Amino acid sequence: MLLEKGKISNFQLSVLIVGFVFGSSVIIPPGQGAGHDAWIACALGLMEGLLIVWIFTALAKQFKDKTIVEINSLVYGKILGKCISVLFIWYLFHLGALVLNNYARFFKLEIYPATPKAVGLLLVMLVCASTVGRGIEVLARCGLILAPLTLLVAVTDTLLVIPHIDLKNLLPILDVPIRKLLFVSHGTASFPFAETVAFLMVLAFVDKPEKGPSAVSRGLLISGFIFIMVAVRNAAVLGQMGTVYNYPTYIAVQVIDIGDIFNRLEALVAINLITMGFIKISILLYGTVLGLAQVFNLRSYRPIILPVGILMVILALTNVGNTLEMLEFASKGYSIYAVPFQIGIPLITLVIAKLRKLPPKGEVNS
Amino acid sequence: MIALFMIGSAMLALWPIPGLVRKRWWKELICFAVLWSMGFIFSVMLSMRINLPPITTIINKYITGMFGI
Repeated sequence: MLLEKGKISNFQLSVLIVGFVFGSSVIIPPGQGAGHDAWIACALGLMEGLLIVWIFTALAKQFKDKTIVEINSLVYGKILGKCISVLFIWYLFHLGALVLNNYARFFKLEIYPATPKAVGLLLVMLVCASTVGRGIEVLARCGLILAPLTLLVAVTDTLLVIPHIDLKNLLPILDVPIRKLLFVSHGTASFPFAETVAFLMVLAFVDKPEKGPSAVSRGLLISGFIFIMVAVRNAAVLGQMGTVYNYPTYIAVQVIDIGDIFNRLEALVAINLITMGFIKISILLYGTVLGLAQVFNLRSYRPIILPVGILMVILALTNVGNTLEMLEFASKGYSIYAVPFQIGIPLITLVIAKLRKLPPKGEVNS
Repeated sequence: MIALFMIGSAMLALWPIPGLVRKRWWKELICFAVLWSMGFIFSVMLSMRINLPPITTIINKYITGMFGI
């Protein structure tokens, strides 16, 4: 039985990629560890991200109309394939919890300090669960409305902040040791660019799968250029202080004040986080429940959306002890932890599929 | 607090179960029941302020220790 009957266009896929990559990166801009050279780390990370995208889109292109769970069963056999799929589903589930955790921390710290984290997270999860229950097409349409607005806000914020920009803050260029820069660049690739590996659960539902790779790359390039712009802006506005703040984008936008009327635009950054976080969490929840449904041969993924969503919220509430531990994981552990899921599984599967000449001719699109 | 959890969880369970039973989707019902039970138990533990292991912190400690970073 077909678990997902919806189809999305390549344009919708690109927009979803933009929304997904923006996700929590709206408030935690990538490459922060490189200080004022964050934009270089972003550019290098984007290149590595494109390479990783090339690997997993090549896999999706080879097995048209199949998700990673189905591909694993074909390539490794039923039992081993399902074990590998469970690992991949764990990554999607854990990543969803991490995004929710970022969400909760930001709102607790900056917007609603008196509201319990669980309340906000449950409300967000209800909206995401409702969207996921309506299928990938509805999610893609939400992306079509929300992602362009976020891009518009990011560009407008940057234009309005121009009077406060001091380009001397970007000097000296390449101030960080090259080893550290490369580590931060890899961190930028793994968060957020290579996280698009989650789309291995979505690429099967693109109406023109042969154009899927270019659509994913296009989305990644658009978001990458916006991140580079944001990194330059944050460094040029905040200078050395940029490394002190947890949420530099939020602080950088606070300086906008045009004629005492047009100010407090940081609220727009918070709205961007809400909308893009919603897209990212929804896609991760969708991938998790669809993957579980395929692993257990269920007839529908809809009955398990809410229980999985609640488990994701529980993991988000308990997965780290405090903000420092979260930041340490984001800057150190995550870039290594993510490698097996972002590069390992897709690359090894692609190589084995090529060696075994899978899928057999005539079985594609069947 | 725990009573609220019980009511909320029961409502959550009552919503899809009749449909699944009517369609005789037993496998889906078992999956739902297992996941729902896990969510319920963890929620009750959280509301009783029982500390659950911080999984991300454990993963980070393991990775940073293994790679010396």
